[in-house]
Amino acid sequence: MNGLGIIRGLWVTFKHFILTYIEDIRAGKKRYYTQEGILARTRSDVRGAFTIQYPEEKYPVPEEFRYIPFLVYEEGENREKNYRCTSCGICAKVCPPQCIWIVRTTDPNTGKPIPAPAEFYIDVDICMNCGLCAEYCPFDAIKMDHDYEIASYNRFADHIFNKERLGKPLSYYAQIRPQNFAREEAARKAELEAKAARKPAAT
Amino acid sequence: MIVNLGPQHPSTHGVFRMVVVLDGETIVDLKPVFGYLHRNHEKIGERCTWLQIMPFTDRLDYISSMSNNFGYALAVERLMGIKPPERAEYIRVMMAELTRIVSHLVSIGFLLNDLGAYFTPVLYALEERELILDIFEAVSGSRMMCNYFRFGGVARDLPEGVLEKVKDLVFERLPRKIDELDRYLTRNEIVRVRTEGVGVLTAEQAIALSATGPVLRASGVPYDIRRADPYSIYDRFEFDVAVRYHGDVYDRYLLRLDEIRQSIRILKQVLKDLPEGPVQVGKPQWQVRVPAGESYGRVEGPKGELGYYIVSNGKPNPWRYHVRAPSFINLTSLAQMARGGKVADVVVILGSIDIVLGEVDR
Ligand code: SF4
Ligand code: SF4
Repeated sequence: MNGLGIIRGLWVTFKHFILTYIEDIRAGKKRYYTQEGILARTRSDVRGAFTIQYPEEKYPVPEEFRYIPFLVYEEGENREKNYRCTSCGICAKVCPPQCIWIVRTTDPNTGKPIPAPAEFYIDVDICMNCGLCAEYCPFDAIKMDHDYEIASYNRFADHIFNKERLGKPLSYYAQIRPQNFAREEAARKAELEAKAARKPAAT
Repeated sequence: MIVNLGPQHPSTHGVFRMVVVLDGETIVDLKPVFGYLHRNHEKIGERCTWLQIMPFTDRLDYISSMSNNFGYALAVERLMGIKPPERAEYIRVMMAELTRIVSHLVSIGFLLNDLGAYFTPVLYALEERELILDIFEAVSGSRMMCNYFRFGGVARDLPEGVLEKVKDLVFERLPRKIDELDRYLTRNEIVRVRTEGVGVLTAEQAIALSATGPVLRASGVPYDIRRADPYSIYDRFEFDVAVRYHGDVYDRYLLRLDEIRQSIRILKQVLKDLPEGPVQVGKPQWQVRVPAGESYGRVEGPKGELGYYIVSNGKPNPWRYHVRAPSFINLTSLAQMARGGKVADVVVILGSIDIVLGEVDR
């Protein structure tokens, strides 16, 4: 019969429409603006509405999520920032759009380079969030951030991040990427122990 | 009369212009004009190191970045003479097939948009896409610009919980939802009237225009690189090359549905045999050494044959880097399909070719 296909099709939309209301009544207030509700609406067995009301609600990002890189520093005793970066320059070389700019520190007396960055800039409007810098940094000094709300009005004043703006403490890293952090710490410890074991044997 | 459709027009899927010569409402001739999105992809590739090109390939066909990675990784691996470990091969196939599902869903959805079914069907299709993109985000860190493949493997192993999500999708949700989409659209009289017999491309014409992918297979040529020149581990899986014979818009739509079903079939086999083990040969290197020579790596991307031709002279960057972009080459058949049709159908015909301007213009 003519029109049967259309009616069958529209039945699908109608079911979706009704389901949303049924779900809303069933779940009550929990469904919107709560963590539980957001999770329920992002699972694969979701029924009814699928959308997240950004910015009131935020979609939880997975651990591997990557946005602009940040520089990891360890906090010293007097809260001074010990950047892990040694200004080796690998990240600047591997960066596809070439948006990292590093100035090495030199010893003012001897003129020899010191393995620490004097300045470190990333032009975040050029950065394409590829994550290669974090992947290939040999010192785990640069990592990808989860904070994606960095829009602002002024491109040159606000979107060229310097060392201060890029620096984030190690604890922050451990918090946003717990599994990566645990894996790296374990590897570091193993390496230190291996070094300690090698030393006495040599002497 | 000459009418310019585009370059800024919602139906052209990007910045793309069609110069249509009309006689009343009938199309006498059509000339595609593109290049508005040209960003020097190939030349930038020759400036970049081998690894740096990887994230740029994501930006070719931004709907299916994993397949783009795949083709490029194959081309370079062939030259380097390395083979990824088993687990990496399975993960690669898994990602490539999920990408195919994403791409076909988007294409079906937006085809309905072009038909005037404003945004309801496409949003149903995008729901599934969102769930698959969640998986991509969890494994690679980004929803669309995945940058996940490396030479000799993939960037990282699957994080916890991802496999469960994939299983859930492949065994539970996707088959059900594809059937729902089928029920929703396939027998709809309006869809059929608007698409059956529209934009016909015969098998001879399709071959002569070197169309590939769904456009070719909907014209009755069962040519699929996964079967014709099996790469990676596709020779291990059981699946059918979907083929349809009328070569019109409706068949291209049906063919995409068939292909999604076949992809689900492959995914089920992948999930069954996914082995444990490393996902990368050797140590991750930021500067790979590629011996001098040339190679061509090709994959059956969601839109057709996606090939990378690279020439190395042993330097850290390629001497020549060329992309055979399926959208671009399929687009040459647009004039053939549109000639003799009505101007109202040209938008649908373009939608059925499923182009992505990022790939057409490069
Ligand atoms: S962030 Fe890492 S790769 Fe970049 S200069 Fe510092 S230590 Fe080297
Ligand atoms: S994420 Fe990619 S583009 Fe951004 S700074 Fe790192 S290497 Fe460069």
